[in-house]
Parts: sequence; structure tokens; C-alpha cells
Amino acid sequence: MKICSNCILPETFPGISFNAEGVCVYCQRFEGKETRLSEDKNKYEGKFFELLSQLQSSPQRSYDVLMAYSGGKDSTYTMYLLRAKYKLRVLALSFDNGFISNTSHRNIKKVTDNLGIDHVFFKPRWDILKKIFTYAAEKELYSKKTLERASTICTSCIGLVKSLCLKTAIEQNIPMVAFGWSPGQAPVQSSIMKNNPSFIKMAQDAILEPLKGVAGDDIASYFLNEWHYAQPERFPYNVHPMAWEFYNEKMILEEIEKLGWEEPKDTDTNSSNCLLNAYANDLHIKKYGFHPYVWEIANMVREGVMPRDEGFQKIYQKQPEQLIEIARRKLDVE
Amino acid sequence: MTTGQIQQTVKKFILENILFEDNEDVIKNDDSFLQKGIMDSTGVLELVRFIEEEYKISVDDEELIPENLDSVDNLAKFIKGKTG
Repeated sequence: MKICSNCILPETFPGISFNAEGVCVYCQRFEGKETRLSEDKNKYEGKFFELLSQLQSSPQRSYDVLMAYSGGKDSTYTMYLLRAKYKLRVLALSFDNGFISNTSHRNIKKVTDNLGIDHVFFKPRWDILKKIFTYAAEKELYSKKTLERASTICTSCIGLVKSLCLKTAIEQNIPMVAFGWSPGQAPVQSSIMKNNPSFIKMAQDAILEPLKGVAGDDIASYFLNEWHYAQPERFPYNVHPMAWEFYNEKMILEEIEKLGWEEPKDTDTNSSNCLLNAYANDLHIKKYGFHPYVWEIANMVREGVMPRDEGFQKIYQKQPEQLIEIARRKLDVE
Repeated sequence: MTTGQIQQTVKKFILENILFEDNEDVIKNDDSFLQKGIMDSTGVLELVRFIEEEYKISVDDEELIPENLDSVDNLAKFIKGKTG
């Protein structure tokens, strides 16, 4: 299989083409934009400080930021930055999809305790999750564009996480929701963004209707309702600080290990918390011919935050069979 | 720069970078990107990044609303308004 000689995107990736040197069209488009990226990172860090001074800690609020906390390395490091560097009052929310590894459960407890952070678990009904995951394993649920960035199973989970975090932030009047997106997952231009009610409603409706068709109307309780939309002043900012912060996986691991975080040995190379990921990856690779994490990792290789051989190792290896089997058994699928 | 020219540029970007299609008929100028499943909210942000670079404009948080961004028509009107 032909793979870009600069990043790691394969010839099977949507919309790809290569020049005579074997460099993909996405790398060609990035040429000359390195300086702009560096300027944007500084700009958005400045914007974040402005936002913090604008929001200023208020005694009427219990928390400054709601952290979408998976227990994985990136959200752990992001939460550490929010607490230790930016001195914010953090409420962590973890979504239990039924596949959190035992190590990750321990990590969540140790890190929140060591950082002095209040934490809540949200565990949706298993029958609802099971219907969504088994359907997403076989069929497409969302726009084609989402398939470039994640498996349909992952997109389903993340959609629920985003919605629950937004809903909780509105209900608790928390002015920011933070995510641990890596620099390859989301562009710096989206790293500080005020949630707009009409935009959110339209985006939510687009995914809620198909999900209702799969899991029934009860799933609507995980999404915003008319009461939430009637509080536009409570709609928070979404922030993902790793878009502008220095990113280096080794440094991140060293830092979070000081908080008691242990690297799970029971997950695949692209997740440090989820036991469903390998199954979702395997299905995606077989169906579409490319790894659902390749876009994210290729972005990081292209932008120089991850060495190419490291990115290559993460993507081009077989998914662990024992993890695939765990997921199949739990979901009762062949 | 006319509204029609902006529509063409935006549509070309969507066809080449989001839908990977040559056939212009797969998207109508008044199709809602989100409701028709043409792209998700992340795709819309990618489109915003493109129009900021292409037209040298800055899109503020409060301008990130469907009325400005959710179709080729809406985007063209929005860009035309920003660029005069």
C-alpha cells in the first residue's frame, strides 16, 4: 500500500493524491503554513488568558470549568494544566461506556484525588449503549466526513460525551467545558469557541434523530431539551488547551505519572482508557481500508509534534485480537 | 467579487475537500449542511477556516450560527457582507 512519504496517510484515505515525490496532497497544502500555525498557537493562548480574565472566578459559581475526563493520557494532562497551571476550579465528568479498563478506573480515582478535583461518573443505561454500539458496528449513522476522523462507534460515544458535558455545564452554570483533544484531533482555530444555541440545536437534531431510531426515544434524556435552549446566557465556551500548549507524548507521560497515572497495558496503541477501541478500529479498517486514527496521527506527524516512525507504529499494526474478542463477547456479536 | 462567484468557490471547496465528488448536483445551494448530513459540526469549522484564509476575514464566535454558515447560499451572503 502506498503511504505518504512525509506523513503517514495511506492511498486509501478519502480525497488523497500524491506528487512525484510521494508526498500527499494534505502535506502539500500544509507547506508554508508552519509559521502561521505557530502564530495561531500564541494567539489562542492569549485568547484563553483573555477569556479567563473575562470570566473571573465568581463566588456564585462552584466551578470554572467542566472537564470531559476519560482517564486517558490526553485528558489527564489537560486537566492537570487547568488545575495546576491555570488554577481553575474543575469539575471532572467521566462517561462510563461499559468498556473503561481497570487501570483507567484506578487512574481516574488517583488523578482526581491527587489534583483535588471533584468528580462525577455518568453511566448510561447499558441496553441503550449496547444497541448503539452494535448498530454502529455494522452501519453508518453520521455524515461521511466523520468517517475520516473516527470510527462510527467512537463518534457515537464522543457525541454522547459532548452532549452530556454541555448539558451538565448549562445546568450547573459552568462557563467552560474542556476537552483533551490532541493537536491532531482538532485545529487550534476551534480551541476556544462559544457554544451557540441555534448551531448546537441543529447539530444535535442531526444526530439525535438517527440515534432515536436505533435506541429509542429514551436516548433524548442525554441531550439538550427546550429548557436548556431557553438559557442562552448559560451556554459555555468549549476549550481544548492542547491545541496551543507544547505537546510531546513522552513529556506528558512523565508529568502525569507524577500524579499516580499508570499506562494501561490492556488497551490498544491509540487509547489509554477504552477496551472497545480496538474492535471499533478493526471494523473501520476492514470496511474503509484505513485506520480511524490515521488522520489525527498524520496531522501530528505533519505538524512536527510526533516523529513519523512513532506515528507509523501507532497506526500500522494489527489490532489486538484479545481486545476484539472482549468487545464481541460483551456486545454479543459474531 | 459577486455572490455567484463566492458560491462557486465555496461549493468547489466542499466538493473537493469534504464530499470528494466531481458532480456538482450532489449539493444544492440551499441544502442545510447539518440537516442533510453533508458535514458535521467539525466539518463546518473546517469550512470556516477555509473562508477565513480565502477571503482574509475573521469569523467571530457570535457569527458561528446556522444562519451564516449552514448552506452555500448562507455562507455566500455572509462572506459578501463581511467583504463588502
